[in-house]
Amino acid sequence: MAPRAPWRHRALLRFVLRRLLAGLLLCLGVTLVSFLLTQAVPGDPVTANLGQRASEDPAAVAAFRAANGLDQPLPQQYLTYLGNLLTGDFGDSQQTRNPVASDLGEKVPATMELALAAIVIAVVLGVGFGIVAALYRDRWPDQVLRVLSLTGVSVPTFWLALIAYYWVSFKADLLPAGGRLAPGAQAPEQVTGLYTVDALLAGDWATFGDAAAHLVLPAMVLASFTVGVLLRFTRASVLEVLGDEYVRAARAKGLPEFTVVRRHVLRPALVSVVTVTGVAFAGLLSGTVLVEQIFSWRGLGAYAYTSALALDLPAIMGVSVVVAIIYVLLNLVVDLLYGVIDPRLRQS
Amino acid sequence: MRRPVYPVAVALAATLGLSACGGGGDDDGGSASSGDDRTLVVDTSFQLTTSDPARMFEPTGQIVDHVIYETLFTFEGTDSTTPLPLIATGDEVSADGLTHTMALRDDVTFSDGTPLTADDVVFSLNRVAQVKGNPSFLMDGVTVAKVDDTTVTLTTATPDPALPFKLTNPALGVVNSAAVTEAGGSADPGADTADTAEDALNEESQGSGPYVLDTFDVQDQVVLVRNEEYWGDAPAYSRIVMRNTESSVQSVNVRSGDSQLVLDLSADQAADLGGDVTVDSSASANVFFVYTNNDPAVSPITSNPAFQEAVRYGIDYEALVELAGEGASQTPGVIPTTFLGALDPSDAVARDVDRAKEALARSGVADPTVTMSYPSDVQVNGLDFGDLAAAVQQQLAEVGITLELAPAPVQTALEGYRAGTEQMGLWSWGPDYPDPSDYLVFTPGQLVGLRAGWPAGADPELEQAAAAVASEFEEGARTEQYTAIQQRLNEVGPFYPLIQPAQVLAYSSSLDGVAFNPSWTVDLADLG
Amino acid sequence: MTAPDPLVVPAAPLAGDTDVAAVAAPTAARTLARSPWRRPLGLIGLVVIVLWVLVAIAAPLLAPFDPLAQVAPKLLEPSGEHWFGTDNLGRDVFSRVLYGARLSVPLAILLVVLATLVGSVLGAVAGYFGRWVDAGIMRLTDLVFAFPGIILAMAVTAALGAGLRNAVLALVVVTWPSYARVVRGLVLSTREQDHIQASRLLGSSALRTLAVDVRPTVLGPVLVLSALDVGNAVLLLSGLSFLGLGARPPAPEWGAMVSAGAQVFDSWWVGLFPGLAILTVVLAFNFLGDTLRDALDPRTARALRG
Repeated sequence: MAPRAPWRHRALLRFVLRRLLAGLLLCLGVTLVSFLLTQAVPGDPVTANLGQRASEDPAAVAAFRAANGLDQPLPQQYLTYLGNLLTGDFGDSQQTRNPVASDLGEKVPATMELALAAIVIAVVLGVGFGIVAALYRDRWPDQVLRVLSLTGVSVPTFWLALIAYYWVSFKADLLPAGGRLAPGAQAPEQVTGLYTVDALLAGDWATFGDAAAHLVLPAMVLASFTVGVLLRFTRASVLEVLGDEYVRAARAKGLPEFTVVRRHVLRPALVSVVTVTGVAFAGLLSGTVLVEQIFSWRGLGAYAYTSALALDLPAIMGVSVVVAIIYVLLNLVVDLLYGVIDPRLRQS
Repeated sequence: MRRPVYPVAVALAATLGLSACGGGGDDDGGSASSGDDRTLVVDTSFQLTTSDPARMFEPTGQIVDHVIYETLFTFEGTDSTTPLPLIATGDEVSADGLTHTMALRDDVTFSDGTPLTADDVVFSLNRVAQVKGNPSFLMDGVTVAKVDDTTVTLTTATPDPALPFKLTNPALGVVNSAAVTEAGGSADPGADTADTAEDALNEESQGSGPYVLDTFDVQDQVVLVRNEEYWGDAPAYSRIVMRNTESSVQSVNVRSGDSQLVLDLSADQAADLGGDVTVDSSASANVFFVYTNNDPAVSPITSNPAFQEAVRYGIDYEALVELAGEGASQTPGVIPTTFLGALDPSDAVARDVDRAKEALARSGVADPTVTMSYPSDVQVNGLDFGDLAAAVQQQLAEVGITLELAPAPVQTALEGYRAGTEQMGLWSWGPDYPDPSDYLVFTPGQLVGLRAGWPAGADPELEQAAAAVASEFEEGARTEQYTAIQQRLNEVGPFYPLIQPAQVLAYSSSLDGVAFNPSWTVDLADLG
Repeated sequence: MTAPDPLVVPAAPLAGDTDVAAVAAPTAARTLARSPWRRPLGLIGLVVIVLWVLVAIAAPLLAPFDPLAQVAPKLLEPSGEHWFGTDNLGRDVFSRVLYGARLSVPLAILLVVLATLVGSVLGAVAGYFGRWVDAGIMRLTDLVFAFPGIILAMAVTAALGAGLRNAVLALVVVTWPSYARVVRGLVLSTREQDHIQASRLLGSSALRTLAVDVRPTVLGPVLVLSALDVGNAVLLLSGLSFLGLGARPPAPEWGAMVSAGAQVFDSWWVGLFPGLAILTVVLAFNFLGDTLRDALDPRTARALRG
């Protein structure tokens, strides 16, 4: 790589800063929208959270409102929320009685673990098969893989989850059913919050095996869609590169086909696959609701779902903010990668 | 960055694959191990907000608190008609029926070793009343006083034969007053804002029961460990893990031995669990009922008595029992069949399509269309409200009544139900305490009566009967009066009791001592 | 806007349903369009879709039972009389699956049409007027993309009541931005074309230019994009119903039926068949859509990269 002129760094820094600022504004917008939405929804958080008997009692209702700041005018409530947010205080979930921040600290890694495992599976299968499909273009492996990839993007994940669950866990009893660990098993000491990683860090192989066994099935189900996407995308990028002049030149030079593919085709083709993977990952993260539901995986999706059902305002706002932050950061990373990796884009 | 990514990915996948194999043989590690160090795994679908007795009134909380906090009275096994002394040794009622004098055991200690005294009882009961949480209604009109270290008196505003029954409720469990006070607890007026002990109690329990709280998470799992200081006989299991699990997953888990006891299967789900699983199916005390709003301002149709008659005789109760599966039964009146005062099955309403059609014609309402609301995201005994609603809709269509179903998440649906603005609703009532007086809420001007647009004064005779029976101590008279009240309700009330689903307890056949109780479902400390 | 759009890459609103493949490289598409072996798939897709449409139309004739009636003992295994068995209410699953086509397919199409309409109008306005209008609308799309779809859908159904129609509305709110971005891109690329420049110079109003000169260029690709998305729409709708936020009982909606199957999943037939119905419909639309995409000329395909 040629040494960069200093102004390039400054430009990059400016780019990142501008993007972060835009992201910040976006997050602000998200808090406002979720706040307004929860206000517009019929259903009073008071009845939702006080329970049958207490919400018949005006004194208890008033106390609840005061304790949660619900007796303040709306703009005041919103500003208070924002103020607290700046100090990292998301408020307390009315449903779990925990600080939302600590709930999120548990749920986000759970979903992160699931999504990471799924993206790994998707990349391995999708990219691997995609290369095969491209190299065997229009021959039978390509055709089979094409149907496979289209099936991947067509199968309803909630149904696939159910079927997999029924046959693999229930009938065949091959993998444990639901949850992240065997019942009663102690979670490994939290470092990353990903049980598999934490177990490895602690050198606890039994827990690692347990966590991984629980992870495999939901991750594979979640990956099905992304496998299809990556397969098609990889195939297309590889084919594009195969048509390029320098590949033809390399072939003309008489280099072995394997070397040509490895050196001149895969590298450039996979560059763009990386960026698509980033996008797909964002999708996976926000898209685990259905799979978490079936596999009793208590992650962000399940948390969002139950908070929304229970009109748990602080939790709803917390989930929205976290999802927005993830979205902003992932997009920034993808764009940076794209800029760093793809020389053509950098020149323009 | 420019290196291809795939070798890394392949390596990672390989690890995953390996680990999957490694984990396969490992997943029964949670079940019971030998010796004194045994873990019991219980799966239930959590309805849980807290373990603080003064604020707890959900089914899962009852199970948990029953083994942590001990009450003055309790029930043994499946019986819920005879309260037995636990911390109290007896109950002497004054001649006017207002004052209960209770002597206390002197050998009870809390989990930190402190002996339990009358002060703890007074503090605990007053705290429930003053915190004004969900269970505070149990203490309505009750004043508690200490006589000496081992005697208390409870005085009620009106004679209350149900008091010992109420005192079995885990919400009225006795807490260690010194420890709770130190944690921010208060039993004085104003405790609803001043008491801040809830978080501490969810961290560390302060009871005298056979178990103490280890970890508590309302969405995930609750872990109980044996109270090493327990004054009574130590329970068989040293550790109990209660996991929040959906009913469909429970059937898998109990079958595979992943959990030893599951609490929320429907009769259908429990149909085929294999030889290693015992299935106990008994009538639960939960009553599903439909109501039609009696307030003409809400709906001129549903408040029409002839229309109500058409609904009453249009519903096919037998088909609903069939739908609910084995072990379910029709509820002849609002009081479940296992309680004192329940109607005889022969008093139950039976479907009569002709009568329903005739009544509908008499009502003068042509082709009525009515909205029926119900909670869509909760199940009772594994039964879905939506399934029952769809069945009722179909049945009433046969007599010419069109129901529009309006499902909503329970928290949203409760709004309309509590405000009394639903035209028609499908809900369930679970007992707060196993005494028929809990069902007087269905009379005019009472909690559920009001929700159905049935205000005080709507039926003075019925209201008088309700007030009278609430203070009646004599069992024969109680039975007779509750019977009369329910017969009246079945004639003119806007309520249509449907069914009691089966309470299915499915457990590993090696587990002993499983017995259903309507309040705390199962006494976990009895299991062995 | 010369700088790269800060948040141009859309994330999936629900369950990984964004068609990331829309970013596929155009040259590849061009190359592949020539390969003949793909046509059978498109044909198969078309045939299956036509079959399902026929089923939807003729459901009352084809279904052996009333889909809402409790006609038999519950949870019967598949048999000669009840091909797909009966569900937990004793309803005939086969009849319900057939009737389900009347809900899922038309509503998915309605969803795509509405989302396309809203998205196209906003996207065209953004692309044509540029500046702050563009910036405003694009920030709005960011907002939707960054918002958890489940909460949005939940809020809409809670506010308007459960029901398939409201589920469609909720999903329109979640899905229009993808269309807006595509149309904006197309409009941006056509705006500088000679005949449009000329028309503007001749004094045509903005509205007229958009409607008369820009529309024809944009219309074709957008229609194709919509066609591609019907499969996704079926998935999204059934997913919402699965969560209990869509169809109201006793409607024979496939996602809701799978959800019922999940409750009694030992009776595998209750959930299996409606799921297969979803799979075949979505697969058929994707077979067809994929073939269509390849048949596009490369320039449009490039614009469709979104």
